[in-house]
Amino acid sequence: MELKIRKNGENYIIDVNGEMDLYNSYKLKELVMKMLEKKVERFIINLENVDYIDSSGIGALIYICSTIKKMSMKLIITNIHGSVKKVIELTKLMGYFPITNSIEEAIQQMDE
Amino acid sequence: MENTYLSELKEIKVDEGSPLFDKTNMFYKEFPSDFRQIRYFTLLIVQTAPLEIKEINLLEQQISEIIKNAVKHGNKCDPERKVRVWYSFSPQHAHLVVQDEGDGFKDLEKWNDFNRKRLELLSRHDFENLQDYVSYRTLLSDDNDGGNALFAALEYWNGGFVFNTKRNAVAMLKKYPQKRQGISVE
Repeated sequence: MELKIRKNGENYIIDVNGEMDLYNSYKLKELVMKMLEKKVERFIINLENVDYIDSSGIGALIYICSTIKKMSMKLIITNIHGSVKKVIELTKLMGYFPITNSIEEAIQQMDE
Repeated sequence: MENTYLSELKEIKVDEGSPLFDKTNMFYKEFPSDFRQIRYFTLLIVQTAPLEIKEINLLEQQISEIIKNAVKHGNKCDPERKVRVWYSFSPQHAHLVVQDEGDGFKDLEKWNDFNRKRLELLSRHDFENLQDYVSYRTLLSDDNDGGNALFAALEYWNGGFVFNTKRNAVAMLKKYPQKRQGISVE
């Protein structure tokens, strides 16, 4: 799994590339925690290039989501598709995670 | 709509007499409890499944979770302890029995209670309190445990998800809708 950060105004977009599985999901958690230490407040996690997620990956997203909520920062997860979407649906977390269909939509929601 | 989640309340059962434990005509493989090789072991099993039931990689992901539970929580990653897997696939079904050499899933009733509460909150759209029920954790859980694998498993294995009496073996069945074949007649 490869993580890339890009900035769009106040928003930090994290592009996740590869598989979020039991061997590497902790990397996303660690990255977000480091960014929070550096006072980043708006996160967009882009899962466009993620085709595989398991319970560790879902767990990492839950941890990130709850930490950011507790700190009153903003998070949107975007471009969920294929089996990643199915796994989130199976865990019934589609309503729990803040989700948009595209980065544009995520940026728009951040500004609302 | 309010009771959508509760009306389909599912729970993990203990029933060693379940027909899901009948291993007749099933393939068999066994693995050492090597955490680094969980996905590789899973692929060795899934490769025999017909393409149409793989659903990209959803079948692989669901089987990987069960093998991970056996390796990590059952056998505590002790390479001397084996994970035994019986499996059978067709375009209409996926059937597995996964057994470890651990002490068994002792928290099964607690897990069912936790899941029941989770489904109640979901049915009320109470996302505020759901926060405490998105991940099942015990004193033995570590940072890499998502705590959500069995929530998905109960939904995915629509033909049943049953433990044996010792609770160190779980049998599961997924049924796929049969696709109609033939030519259309105008």
